[in-house]
Amino acid sequence: MTGAPPRDRPILSVRDLHLAIAGRGRHTPILRGASLDIAPSEVHGLVGESGAGKTMIGKAVLGIQPSPARISGGSVLFEGRDVTHLSERERRALMGRGMGLIPQDPMTSLNPAHRIGAQIADVLRLHLGMDRPAAGARALELLNEVHVRAPERVLRQYPHEISGGMRQRVLIAIAFACRPRLIVADEPTTALDVTVQRQVLALIKRMQAQEGASILFVTHDLGVVAKICDRVTVLHGGRVLETGETRRIVEAPEHDYTRALIAATPRHDRPGDLLRPVPEALTARLNAEALAYDAAHGSHG
Amino acid sequence: MAESVLLEAAGLRLSLPDYSRKPPFGPAPPVDILHGIDLAIAPGDTLGVVGESGSGKTSLGRTLVRLHRPTAGRLLFDGRDIANLTEERLRPLRAQFQMIFQDPQSSLNPRRRVADIVAQPLHLHGRAATRAEARRQVDALLERVALRPAHGERYPHELSGGERQRIGIARAIALRPRLVVADEIVSGLDMSSQAQILALLRELRRDLGLALLFISHDLSVVRTVCDRVMVMLNGRAVEQGECAAIFASPRHPYTRRLLNAIPLPDVDPGWVARTADNQLGEELSMNVKDSVALVTGANRGVGEAFVRVLLDRGAAKIYAAMRSTDGYEAPDGRVRPLALDVTDHGRIAEAAAECGDVTLLINNAGVNRNRPISDDDALRNARDEMEVNYFGTMEMCRRFGPVLAANGGGAIVNMLSLLSRVNLPMIGTYCGSKAAALSLTQGVRAELAAQGTLTVAVMPGAINTRMGDMNPPPLEDPADVANAALDAVEAGEEDIYPGVMAEGVSQGLAADAKAVEKEFAAYLPG
Repeated sequence: MTGAPPRDRPILSVRDLHLAIAGRGRHTPILRGASLDIAPSEVHGLVGESGAGKTMIGKAVLGIQPSPARISGGSVLFEGRDVTHLSERERRALMGRGMGLIPQDPMTSLNPAHRIGAQIADVLRLHLGMDRPAAGARALELLNEVHVRAPERVLRQYPHEISGGMRQRVLIAIAFACRPRLIVADEPTTALDVTVQRQVLALIKRMQAQEGASILFVTHDLGVVAKICDRVTVLHGGRVLETGETRRIVEAPEHDYTRALIAATPRHDRPGDLLRPVPEALTARLNAEALAYDAAHGSHG
Repeated sequence: MAESVLLEAAGLRLSLPDYSRKPPFGPAPPVDILHGIDLAIAPGDTLGVVGESGSGKTSLGRTLVRLHRPTAGRLLFDGRDIANLTEERLRPLRAQFQMIFQDPQSSLNPRRRVADIVAQPLHLHGRAATRAEARRQVDALLERVALRPAHGERYPHELSGGERQRIGIARAIALRPRLVVADEIVSGLDMSSQAQILALLRELRRDLGLALLFISHDLSVVRTVCDRVMVMLNGRAVEQGECAAIFASPRHPYTRRLLNAIPLPDVDPGWVARTADNQLGEELSMNVKDSVALVTGANRGVGEAFVRVLLDRGAAKIYAAMRSTDGYEAPDGRVRPLALDVTDHGRIAEAAAECGDVTLLINNAGVNRNRPISDDDALRNARDEMEVNYFGTMEMCRRFGPVLAANGGGAIVNMLSLLSRVNLPMIGTYCGSKAAALSLTQGVRAELAAQGTLTVAVMPGAINTRMGDMNPPPLEDPADVANAALDAVEAGEEDIYPGVMAEGVSQGLAADAKAVEKEFAAYLPG
C-alpha cells in the first residue's frame, strides 16, 4: 500500500472547511480550514482529542448546521454536490440512500416509546417507500445480518429491554438499512465494554465490506483506527495536522503531535513507565500555531 | 505479618436490594453482588481491578472503603476489622482511606469554588485551624496535582475534564490517606488528559507512598499504573497476580478474551477476520451459580468432581445421572440422583421430560475399551465406544436442546479429550469416537447458537481417574478440569484445553499438526 491520496474520484471531499461560534462580540473558531477526501469503499479514521473539531466535521458532512456554530467558509462535497447549505427537505432526501449515521450513544438515539421493529421499518418506508409487510420482512433480515440473537423477539421489544451492545447493533442495522454510499460513525463503540466493542467493530467492518460503503469513522482511539481504518486524518484545534494511509501514520508518523498521541496511548503489553503524556510545550506550540492561523485568516468571520 | 498488609479482605460478600424485582408492597429481594473476594494490599502497593460492566468492580471499591457494609467476610484495615464498624467509629479512620469517583462532574459540588471543595475534608477532620492555613494547604495540593492556585477561584464547570479529575485527586489526598480507591477515573478523558492523570498517579504513589486500588475496564490503563491486577467476572475474582505475568500469559479464558478484545495501536489487517463469525453475535455465557445442572457419569471420576465443584460454585440443583443409582449417596441435598444410561435413547427422552429445569448440561459419560485398532474385537470395541461417546452425547444434546431453549439458552459442556484432535496408538478406536464427538460438538454449537445455547468442548490431557491411566502423563486433577470447564461456561469460551500438557499440544497442533501426529505415533506404551 502507498501513502498516496486515493486515486478514485472521492465520494466525499471536505475542502478548506471553516466553522466558528460567533455571538456576543466573540468569535471562536472551531474548524480552521480542515480538508479531507474519502474514496469509495474507504474507511477513513478521523482522530483527535475532545475539542479538536472531529464531531463538528461529522455533523457538517451530514449536512447539519452544528448549532451554535456556523460554517463560515469552505465546502463539503458529497458525490460532487455541496451539502453545507441544504434545506431540511434536501437533507432528508440525502439521508438513507445517500448517507447513514451510527451515533455514539445507542440509548438516546432510539425512540424509547417505539418498538425496535417499527423504528427500523420507519426508515425503510420513509427512504425506500416500502410498504408495511415488505419493511417488516426487511427489518427481520437486517437484524439477522447484524447477528442479533432471536431477532423476531427483538423486533417486538422496546429499546430499554435490550442491552447496550444490542442497541448499537440495531443502530448499525438502521444505518445500513437503505444501502447508503457513506456512513458517518461518531465514536460508535466508546460506550461499550471491550469484548462487545470488538464484536461491534468487526460487525461494522464486515457490513461495510459487504455493502461497499465508505465510512468516516470519528474516534479518539488510535487502537480502533489501527484495526479498521484504511486511511487516517489527525485533527487538532480544528486543523488537519496529518493525513495518510493507516500503516504509515501508525508506524512512521510525520507530525510531532501524531507521535505524541501514540506515545500517550496505554498498552497492556508494555510496562507502564513507557507511557508519555503529550508534552505541554507541544500543546502550547500547536495552540500558538492555531492563533497565528486565525490572525492570518481573519476574513472568515 | 500485619505490618506488611494495609488492607486485607477475606471472603468478602455483598448483597444489595434488587429494586427491579421489588414487589408492590414489602422489601426488595437481595441480589448477590460479590461472592467471596480475597485480596491484600501492602503499603505503597498498587492493585488494578478490571472487569466489564456488571462485574462488581465498583461495588468492590465502595465496599473496601466502607461505603457499603459487607454482607459477610472480613475486611481488615491496618489489622483492624472494619467490616461492621458503625459510621461513628469509622469516621476517625476515614481520613486514611479515600475514594476518587468516576465522574468528577457529578462528584464535585457545582456551587462551590475549587478551593472550598479541596479544603472541605481539611475542615471536616480539623486539619486546618484557620482559613489562611486551609488556603495554604489547598494551594500546595493544587500544585501537587499540577494546577495553579488560580484554579482554586474557579467553579468545577469552568474546568476541563482532566482538570476536574485533578481536583478529585487533590481532595482525595488532602488528608494524606494511606489508601486511595480510584474508580474509572480516566474513562471519560481523551488520550492526552488520560496519560497526564496516569503519570500523576504514578508520581503520587512514588512521592507519598500511597497504596492504590485502581478500578478500570481497560487492561492497558491498568498496566500503566499497577504492579498487580485482579480480573473480575460476575462478582468473583477469576485471576489475580503480577500484571507482567498475567498479561503475558493469562490463565483464565475470560482474561484472555479481555486481552484479545483490546485494539492495540498496531496495524493488523487480520484483526477483524479473527473475530470469528460466532463472536459477531452477542456473547453466549452463563453463571454457574444458581444454575440447574445435569451431569452424566456423575458417580465417579470427572463426573463426581463436576458434582462437587458445582456445589462449591453455588449451583441451585444438580441431577447426578448414572447408569444405576443403587448405592449412590448424594453428597448434598441439592444433588438429585438420576438413573440414566445414555445408550438408552428412550430413557433420555424421559429424562428430558422429567428434568425440565436444566440450564447446564454436562455430557461427561464416556467409555474407553483401551484397545488398538488391530485388536480382534476392534469392531465391537469401536461400536461400544461410539454408542456412549458419540450417539449418547448426540441424543443428550438433541433431547435437552429444547429444554435449554425453554430456560433461556443455557450451556452444554461436552467432555472430550485431547485425543479428539490427535490419535494415540493402541487406543485408536477410542480416539476415533472422541474425534467424532468433537465434530458433533461443533455441529451442535452451530445449530443451537441461535437459541442462545453456549456449547463448550473440553479437551484435557490424561486425567487422574481410572480411565486416564493409559494416556501420556502428566495426569490432571479432575477438580481442576471441572473448574476449567465451568470457567469456560462463565467466560463464553468454546474450546478449552485444560492443563499444561493439553495447552502445549493444542499450540503444537496450531503450529504443525503433522509433527504432533508423528510425536504421538511414536508413543507406544509397553
